[in-house]
Amino acid sequence: MINNINKNNRSNSVAKIILYTIKSRLLLSFAIVFAVVMAIVTSLFPPLILGDIIDAMTAQQAVTWGMILAYFGLTVLTGLMEAAREGLLTVFGQKITHALRSGLMDKFTRLTADCLNKQEPGAVVSRFVGDVDTVEALFTSGIISMFADACRIISILAVIWFHNKGLAIVLVVLLPFLFWFTRHVQKNMLSAQIENRRAVSRASGHVPETLHNIRTVHTLGKERYMEQRYDEYIGESYHAMEKTNFYDAIYSPAILILNAVVVAVVMLFSASGNPAVLTLFGMSAGTAVAVMNYISQIFSPVESLGMEIQTIQSALAGVKRIDEFLEQNEFEKQDTKAPNEPVVRFDNVTFGYDDKNILNNLSFEVRTGEQVTLSGRTGAGKSTIFKLILGLYRPGQGSVTIDGVNSADIPDKAKRRLFGYVEQSFHMVPGTVKDQITLFDESITMDEVKKAAELTGLDDAIMSLPDGYDTKCTADLFSQGQWQLLSIARAAAAQPKMLLLDEITANLDADTEQTVLSALKRVSENRTVISISHRVNASTGRIITVG
Amino acid sequence: MQQTKKKISKKIEHPDRIIEYFKEEWIVLLAVTISGMIYNVGLLAGPWFEGKMTGCLVNILGGSETFADMLILVALYVISIAVVQISRYIKRFYVRRFSNNVNKHMKQILYGSLVHKSRAQLQEEGVGNVMTKAILDVDDCVEGMRKFTTEIFDTGVAMVAYMGMLLWYDWRLALLCMIFPPVSYYIAERMKVIVQKTGAAYKVQSGILSAATLDRANNAVTYRVFGCEGERRESYEKNLTDYEKSAVLANIWNSSLQPIYRIISMTGVIFILYFGGKNVLGVGWREWSVAAFATFLACFTKLAVKSSKAAKLFNAVHKAQVSWKRIKPLMVIPNDDAPQSVQPVRCADTLESVPELTVNRISFAYPESKNIYSGISFSAKPGEIIGVTGPVACGKSTLGKTFLCEYPYDGSIRLSGRELKDMTASERTGLVGYLGHDPELFNDSIANNVMMGDKGDCRQYLKTVCIDEEVNAMEDGTDTLVGSGGVRLSGGQAQRLALARTLCHMKHLMVLDDSFSALDKNTEVQVFNNLRAMTQNNIVILISHRLYLFPQMSRIIWMDGGRAIVGTHEQLMEQCPEYANLYLEQAGGGSDEKWQM
Repeated sequence: MINNINKNNRSNSVAKIILYTIKSRLLLSFAIVFAVVMAIVTSLFPPLILGDIIDAMTAQQAVTWGMILAYFGLTVLTGLMEAAREGLLTVFGQKITHALRSGLMDKFTRLTADCLNKQEPGAVVSRFVGDVDTVEALFTSGIISMFADACRIISILAVIWFHNKGLAIVLVVLLPFLFWFTRHVQKNMLSAQIENRRAVSRASGHVPETLHNIRTVHTLGKERYMEQRYDEYIGESYHAMEKTNFYDAIYSPAILILNAVVVAVVMLFSASGNPAVLTLFGMSAGTAVAVMNYISQIFSPVESLGMEIQTIQSALAGVKRIDEFLEQNEFEKQDTKAPNEPVVRFDNVTFGYDDKNILNNLSFEVRTGEQVTLSGRTGAGKSTIFKLILGLYRPGQGSVTIDGVNSADIPDKAKRRLFGYVEQSFHMVPGTVKDQITLFDESITMDEVKKAAELTGLDDAIMSLPDGYDTKCTADLFSQGQWQLLSIARAAAAQPKMLLLDEITANLDADTEQTVLSALKRVSENRTVISISHRVNASTGRIITVG
Repeated sequence: MQQTKKKISKKIEHPDRIIEYFKEEWIVLLAVTISGMIYNVGLLAGPWFEGKMTGCLVNILGGSETFADMLILVALYVISIAVVQISRYIKRFYVRRFSNNVNKHMKQILYGSLVHKSRAQLQEEGVGNVMTKAILDVDDCVEGMRKFTTEIFDTGVAMVAYMGMLLWYDWRLALLCMIFPPVSYYIAERMKVIVQKTGAAYKVQSGILSAATLDRANNAVTYRVFGCEGERRESYEKNLTDYEKSAVLANIWNSSLQPIYRIISMTGVIFILYFGGKNVLGVGWREWSVAAFATFLACFTKLAVKSSKAAKLFNAVHKAQVSWKRIKPLMVIPNDDAPQSVQPVRCADTLESVPELTVNRISFAYPESKNIYSGISFSAKPGEIIGVTGPVACGKSTLGKTFLCEYPYDGSIRLSGRELKDMTASERTGLVGYLGHDPELFNDSIANNVMMGDKGDCRQYLKTVCIDEEVNAMEDGTDTLVGSGGVRLSGGQAQRLALARTLCHMKHLMVLDDSFSALDKNTEVQVFNNLRAMTQNNIVILISHRLYLFPQMSRIIWMDGGRAIVGTHEQLMEQCPEYANLYLEQAGGGSDEKWQM
C-alpha cells in the first residue's frame, strides 16, 4: 500500500544513457566511425594488388617495388586503423561504463526506501560492476565488429555473383537457414546466460554475507554448511554455464561443416556434365579455386558473427537486468508548503508494507520542544512511525507533515539539520571515527564533532585512541554501549531540531542512559524529542500509545 | 598417466600451485589433447581435398575421370571435415569444462579458507577487497588458464605445422621472413611490464569501486536518513572517474597493440613478394610455380596472424598471473577437523563428565592494549543461569566474547574439567554457544536460518521464542525469505529468530549477550521461562542491563571498571549498592524501567 508508485517517471534506460553518451562525445563517435570504415576500405585493396602481382608473375614479368610497397603500405595502414579503432573503442567503452554507473547511482539515490530495503548488497555490486562490464563489451567487441563482418559478407556475395551465379543462389537460399540456426543458438544461450548471471550474483552475495556473519558461522560450527550452500550456488551457475558452453562450442563446427557441404555441392554440380546445370555452375579450375576461397571467406565472418553473438547476448542479459534496476520505483519530492503547524503531524494515517496494514487511521501531533514517547507492543508499528517521519515512506492514506511539509518531500540537505535519528544498533561506515559522526558531511565542523562527542561522554575515549578522531574504525574499537553513544553523537552532530530515539536504551545501562539523556536535555531548548520504548512511566513526557 | 585411478577426490595437496589444478583435471585435459591433435592435424585435410577436387574437376573437363570419382572424393571430403569439426567441438567443450571445474574448485578452496579464518583475520582486509579477490580474480585467472590450454593447440601446434611447410618450400626465404614474428613476439614480451603495471593499478581501482558500491548498498538507509546521499553520490562519481582512467590505460595496452604486432609480423611479406617473385621467374633460390607462391604467401599470412595471437596469449597469461598472485596467499586448505566433532555432545551420552564451568581469575586484553577486566572467578553447574550486568563499557560484552576464545585470555576457564583455551576450535564449538547483539541472519528462508542445514522441524524453536504466530502470518510461513541481513523483519523479530537458531544448536554453555533487548516485557518473560525449561542440563550466561529477571537467576556477576562482584541476587542487593540502586530504580518504584527525560 505504498502510494508513491510513480513508475519510471525519469524513464532512464541503458539505451538512453548510451545515446546520451554518444551525443555528448560526438567527436569521439565520429573518430570511431572513421576508423572502422577506413579499416574496412583499406583492407579491400591488398588482395586486388596481390591479384595484379600474380597476373604479372603469370605473364613472367618482374614484381615492381611500387607494387610491393603499395601492398605492404596498405597492410600497415589497415593495421594502424585497426589499432586506432581498438584504442578509441576502449576509451568510448569506458565512457559508457562511467555513464551507466553514474546513472545507476543516481537511480539508487532516488529509490524508495522500500526498494532500498529489498536490495541485496551483493546483487547491487554485481549489477554495478559485473553487468555494466558486459555492456561495455557490447561496444568494444560486439556491435562494431558485427557491423564490419556484415559489410564483408555482402561485398563477397556480390563478387561471387559475378563468378558463379549458381553458388550465389545456393548461398542466398542458405542464408535464411543460417539465420534461423543462429537465432536458435542465440535464444538458448540468452536464457542460459540470464540463469548464469542470477546464480553468479547469488554466489557473490554469499561471500560478503559470510564475512558479516562469520561469528555465527564459527560458533555454530557451520563452516561445512556454509561451504555446501556456496557449492550449491556455484553449482547452479556452473550448470547454467555448461549449457552456454554447449551452444558456444557447437556453433562454429556446425557452420564449418556446412561450408564443406556447400563446396561439395558446387563441385558435384560442376562435375555433373549436364548443360542446363552448367549454365549456372560451370567454371574453370582457376575459378574453382577462387570460389572455394570465397566460400570460406563468407563463412568465416559468419563464424565470427557467432562469437559476437555470444558477446552481445551476455551484454543483453546485463542490459535487461540493469533496465530492471532502472525501472524500480522512485520517491518523489513535491513542494507542498502549508501554514505553520505543529512540528510533526500525523493526519488519519494508514500505512502498511505489502498488503498488511500496520497503522490504521493514526492521528497525533507533536509540538516544538515537546517530549513524547511512543509506546506499544512489539510489531505495533512504532519503528514504522519513525520511518514515516523520516520520509522513507509515504503514507497509504492521510498525511505526515513536518513543519507543514510532507515528510517525504523534505530535501536531503535539510534533513541532517532537521532530524537526529538514533537506531537500535549502530551502522558503521568505512572510515575514521570522525567519519562515523559526520558521515562524510563536510559541512559539519570539527568543533561540532568534538562537541557532539563531549556531549555523549565519548570524547575522552576517542582522544585516548592512537590517532584520536582520525583513528580508522573497526568493529572492535568500542564496546556495545560506546557504539550507541557514537550513534547519538552522529545524530547530535548537526544540531538537529528533532531527535528520534528508537529504543536506544535497549543497549544502555541505566547510568549511562541518564548521563546521555540529561546531556541531550541540556541542549534541547527548542528540540523536540520523540522516543520509542516498550516500558513507560510518568517521567517520560507525553505518551502516545500505538496499536 | 601413471596416476593411480583413485576416485577424483576434492582434495588438492598444494592448492597454491597452479600445476595441481591441471593435474586434477587430467581426464578432461586428455580429452582436450586428443581432440585438439585431431583437429589441428586435420586442418590440413581441407586444403588437401580442395586441391584434389580441383584436379578432379580439371580431369573431368578433360574427360579422364567421371562423375563417380568426384562423388567419392566429395563424400570423403565432407566426412573428413565432419570428423575434424566434431573433434573441434569436443576440444572447445572440454576446454570450457576444464575452466569451469577449475573455477569452481578454486572458489571452493577460497571460500573454504575464508570461512575458517578468524574474525580478527578477516577484519584486517576490507570486505570489498576479499570479495573481488575471491570472485573477479578467480574468473580472470581461470580465463588465463583456459586461453593457455586452448592456444597450446590452436597456436602452438598450428604454428609448428606452418613453419615446417614454409621451410619445405624455400628454407632461405622462410628463415628471412620468419625473423619478424619473433620480433613482434619480443616487443610483446617487453610490453608485458606496462601491461602488468596498468593491469595491477586497474585491479586496485576496481577493488576500491566494489568496496564503495558495497558500502553504498549496505548503508543506504543510514545515508538517506541523515541526508548524506548527495555527498556520497559525488564521492562515488570521483571513484568512477579514477576507475575510468585506470581502465582505459590498462585496456588500451591490451587491445590496441594487437594490430601493431601483426604489422610487425607481416613485414616479412616484402621479402616474399620480392624473392618469391624472383623464384617464380626462375631467377631466385628455388623454382616456383605461381601456385607455390600463393601457398607460401597464404601460409606465411596465417603464421603471422597466429603469432600476433601468441602475443595476446601472453597478455592473457600475464593478466592471470596478476590475479593468481593475489589469490595465491588465500589458497590454503583449512585443517579440517571440524565436521566429526561438530556434533554437539548431548548431555545424556557423556556420563562421566558432568559439564561444570569453573572460571578462575581470568583477565582479558585485546592485543597491545590494556586489560578490559581482570580477576573474575565464578563457577556454575548445569541448569544454572548466570546473569551479568554493569554500566556501559564495563566489559560485560567482552566477558561474553572471552568464551569464544577469539583472543587469548589469562587465567583459567575449565568446562567439564578441561581448559577452554587448550581445546581445538571444533571442540569448543561443540561446547560453547554464543549469540551477540547482531542477529547475523542470512538471506535465506526462516527455516534455513534456524536449522542451518540440520534435519528437523524449526517450529518448536520458533514457539520457544514466541515468534511462531508471526511466522505463520507471513506469506510463505517458515519458507519466507528474510532478506539480506534480515531486513524484512523487525528488530525484535530478527532478534528472536537469531535466538531460535542459537537454541536449535544447544551447547553445554550458552552465552547470550543482550538477546532480549528489543522485546517487550511480556514477551521477554515468556521467552525467558521457555529458555529456562529448555536448559535444564545446560549452563546459561545471560548478559543484560535489564534487571527484573535477575532475582530468578542462580548467580549474578556485577561488573564495573574491570572488576567483578559475584553473588546471588540477595547477596548483591546487600553488598553492592550500585546493583541495588539500579535494581530498585528499574523494578522497584512502581514503573518497569527508569526513563527520565
